[in-house]
Amino acid sequence: MEGRGSDAGRGPWALALRRLLRNRLAVVFLGVFLLIVVFVLAAPLWADEVAETGPNQEHTVEQITVDGEKKDVVTPEGKPIGPQWFGAGGKFFLGADGRLGRDEMVRLMYGGRTSLLVGISAALIATLVAIVLGLLAGYFRGWVDSVIARTLDTIWSLPVFLIGLSVGIALAVGGLKIGPLELSSGSLWNPILIISVFTVPYIARPIRGEVLALSEKEFVEAAVAQGAGPSRVMFGEILPNLASTVIVFFTLMIANSMLFEAGLSFLGAGVQPPNSSWGTMITVGVELLRIQPLLAILPGMMIMLTVLSLNIVGDALRDALDPRGKARLDAALQFEAQSGATRPVGEASLS
Amino acid sequence: MKKLGALIAVLVLAAVASIGLASCGGGDSADGGDGQKGGILNGTYASFPDFMDPALSYTAEGWSAMAEVYLSLLIYKHAGGEEGSEVVPGLAKEMPKISNGGKTYTLFLRPGLKYSDGTPVKASDFPYSLERMIQLNSPGAPFYLSIEGAEEFAKTKQGPIPGIKTDDKTGEIVINLEGPRGTFVNELGLMFVALLPKGTPIEDLSANPPPATGPYMITKSQPGKGWEYKRNPYWAKANGKAMPELPAGVIDGAKITVVRNDQAQVDDVERGIYDWMQNPPPSSRYAEVKENYEGSQFRVEPAISTYFFWMNTQEPPFDDVKVRQAVNYAVDSRALERIYAGQLVGSHQILPPGMPGHQEFDLYPYDIAKAQELIKEANPSDMDITVWTDSESPNNEAGEYFNEVLKDLGFNTTFKALNADNFATVIGNLSTPDLDAGWANWFQDYPHPNDFFQLLLAGESIQPTNNYNFSQFDDPAINKRITELGREQLGPEQEEAYHLLDEEIMELAPWAPFGTRTLSTFVSDEIDLDSVVFNPTFGHYLSSFEFK
Repeated sequence: MEGRGSDAGRGPWALALRRLLRNRLAVVFLGVFLLIVVFVLAAPLWADEVAETGPNQEHTVEQITVDGEKKDVVTPEGKPIGPQWFGAGGKFFLGADGRLGRDEMVRLMYGGRTSLLVGISAALIATLVAIVLGLLAGYFRGWVDSVIARTLDTIWSLPVFLIGLSVGIALAVGGLKIGPLELSSGSLWNPILIISVFTVPYIARPIRGEVLALSEKEFVEAAVAQGAGPSRVMFGEILPNLASTVIVFFTLMIANSMLFEAGLSFLGAGVQPPNSSWGTMITVGVELLRIQPLLAILPGMMIMLTVLSLNIVGDALRDALDPRGKARLDAALQFEAQSGATRPVGEASLS
Repeated sequence: MKKLGALIAVLVLAAVASIGLASCGGGDSADGGDGQKGGILNGTYASFPDFMDPALSYTAEGWSAMAEVYLSLLIYKHAGGEEGSEVVPGLAKEMPKISNGGKTYTLFLRPGLKYSDGTPVKASDFPYSLERMIQLNSPGAPFYLSIEGAEEFAKTKQGPIPGIKTDDKTGEIVINLEGPRGTFVNELGLMFVALLPKGTPIEDLSANPPPATGPYMITKSQPGKGWEYKRNPYWAKANGKAMPELPAGVIDGAKITVVRNDQAQVDDVERGIYDWMQNPPPSSRYAEVKENYEGSQFRVEPAISTYFFWMNTQEPPFDDVKVRQAVNYAVDSRALERIYAGQLVGSHQILPPGMPGHQEFDLYPYDIAKAQELIKEANPSDMDITVWTDSESPNNEAGEYFNEVLKDLGFNTTFKALNADNFATVIGNLSTPDLDAGWANWFQDYPHPNDFFQLLLAGESIQPTNNYNFSQFDDPAINKRITELGREQLGPEQEEAYHLLDEEIMELAPWAPFGTRTLSTFVSDEIDLDSVVFNPTFGHYLSSFEFK
C-alpha cells in the first residue's frame, strides 16, 4: 500500500484519479456503466448477426422454430412470445415486445442508445449553456446578473414535468420551426431541447455562485491588472477553475436527463414511436404487465442501473475532485454525531 | 440532487400507483339487487361522454349513456342484433306518413307524455329541440339540413325553420324536406333530435342535464367523474302508459364512475366492485376475460364498424390509384387481427357485416409481391409520407403497423400519434399540414349504408374543418351514385346497389379497410348476463340490466 507521501509531486488531475480509483464502489459502478455503454453500442452487431432483425421490424404473423418446434411470434389472441434465450439461435432472446412482434432484445439495445444519446446530448447542451450564463452572471453582476438569475429562477419555479409534458406533446404533433431552426415532429432533438432548457438552472446557479467567489480571487485581479478583457478573464482564467464542478454536474445531469426522458417518453411526450427508448418500452410493457412482466421490468432495470451508476460515479468524482469539500462534509457529520443531533446530515446537495 | 431524487420518486410512485391501480381499482360497492327487481347498478365507463346533452353527443359513450333518458319521435327497437336496427315509433304514435314524393313526413305525438319535471311534452318541442341543436353547432346538424329552411337557419341562427309545422292540440308534426332523403327515418331516430322542453337553455348542459322523457333520468352529472340515474317519476304515471311497448326497466337506478384505467375496470368487475363496464376489456386482458367468463359474465357483441387506413387521394403519391391499390395488397388483415387481440375480424371492404348492402368480397388478398410491382409501375415522385394515428392502444399499434407497411413499400415515413381526444379534430382540419395517410374507424350512426358513403366518401362532404372524408375522395361518378341512392328508400334493390358501390369504390381504393371491430358485455356475477341487451346503435340498454 502506498503511503500518502507518494502523492507528492503529482498533478491535481492525477491525484483526483487516484482518489477516484480508491473508491471501490465507484469503480464497480463505473464498470457497470461502461458495460451498459458497450451493450447498447453492440446493438447493430446483435441485430444483424444474431437476431437478424431491426429494432422496428414487425413479425406479427410470423413463426419461429424453437428447439425444432414452430411457435407464433404473436398468438392469434395477441399474446407476444416470451424469452427464448438461445432456443431460436438468439432470435427473440427476450421475447417479442408486444403485439407488433418486434424483438425485445434488439429494441432494448437500440432503446438504450436513444436514452443515452438523449441523456448525454441534453446534459451537454444544458452544461454548455449553463457555463456561459453562470460566467456572465457571476462576472458582470449588476443588471446582467439580475436578468439571468431571475430568468433561471423563473424556469426553476415552473412545474418542470407538466410544462415539459405539454411542450413535448405540442412538439410531437407539430414539430418546431423558429427561424432557421426546424425540427420534425418525430425528431429526437425535441426531447433533447426540452430537457436541456429545463435543466440549465440546476447547473447555472451553482456555477454562478462559484464564479462570484472566484472573481474575487487574486489571480483574477492580476489578470485584470495585466489588461485582460472580460472574455479572456471569464474563459481563460475562471473557466479552468470550474472544471471539476462542471465535470461532476455533467455526469449527474446525464442521469437526470435520462430520467426526465424516460418520464416524458412514458407519457408520450418524449421519444416518438416507432423508435424505442427505455421510457417508451416501459409504456408498452406496462400494458402487458400481467402476461409478460419482463417487458416493463427490463427497461426499468436498465434505467435504474444507468442512473444509479452515474449518480455514484458523479458523487465519487465530486469527492475526488474536491477533497476539501468531502473533508468539510465528514467534519460536519462528525460534529452532528458528537453533538447528539437526531437528524442526520445527508449528502451535500449539488443543486 | 434534489430534482433527481424527486424524479426517481415520481418514477417509483408511478410504478407503485400503476400496480396499485391495477390491483385495487376504486368505486363503491353495489347496493345489490333485491332479487329480480330493483337495485342500483354500479357501472363504469373508461371516459366521460363527449357531452351529456342529447343535442351534442356524437360518441358511443354518450349515446349509450343517454339512450333511455332522451327519446326522439322515432327510436331504434329495444333489441340486439339485426332486430335492434329497426326504426320504430318512439314519442310518435306511429311511423311517419311519407308523402309528396318522399318530401313530406307527417307524425303525431303520443298523447299524455310528460318530461321528468312534470312539464307536458308538446309537438312544438320538436322544432325547438331541432333548432337548439343547430344553434349549438351540433355535429348532428348536417343530418337535418335537408329540411326546408334549415340550411338558412344554420347560417343565420334566426328561426323558425319554415319546413316544420306543428299543432300542439292535435300533436301533429309535419316536416317538409327540400328533396327526398332515404335516410331521414333513420335520422329521426337519432338522439340529436330527442325532445326537450321549450325554453331549455341553448348551451351545453353536460353538467346539468335537461329533463328526461325515457324511463330513467340523470339526477347528477359530474363531467370527467361520473353521473347517476334514477327512475323518471313520470314514466310510471304517464309515458310508460303511453308507450307500453317500451320496457320500464328493472333496476331502480345506476351510479356510473369514470375509471380511466381499463385494467382496473376489469379487476373491479371481477371482484364485484362494479356490476358492469361499458367499454371492452383492454386488449392485454381480452383473451383472459373471454376464456374465464364467456357465457356467464362475458359476451362478444358484434359492432357495425369499419376500421381502415385512409390515403389522401388529392396529393401525391396517393393521387395515383396504383399506389393506393398497392397499399391495399400490402396490408395484411391477419396481422391486424392479432394487433387487436381477437377483437377485430379482418375484412377488406367499406360496408361491415350487419350493415344492409354488405356482401363479402376481397379485391386485395394479401400479396406483397403484387404490391411492390404496382409501386414499381406507378413510380411515385413523392416518397415522403406522414402517417397519422391516435395514441390509444391498440390503434397506435395499428398505425405503427401501417407505418412499417409503407416503409416496406419504399416510402420515407414520419409517424404522428395524437391523443385520441383530439385526433379526429386534427386530421379533420384540412389546414393541418402533411395529411397524407393514417388510421381511422367508423361506427354506424344508423343502419343505413349511406351513413358510410355520404359523410366518409362523397366529394361534397369534404370540408375545411370537421372533415370526415379523410381521403378527400372526390369522384364525380361516385358522388352522383351516392346522392341518387341517398334519395331512395332502402330496399333489396338499393342494398344490391350499395354493394356494387362498395366494390366500385374499393377498385379506386381510397381506403385500405382492414376489419370490423367487436365490442363486448362484461358484468359481475351479480348481474344476469342473458338479460342485458346490446343495441348495435346505442350499445347497452340500462333498462335491460337485472340483478340475479
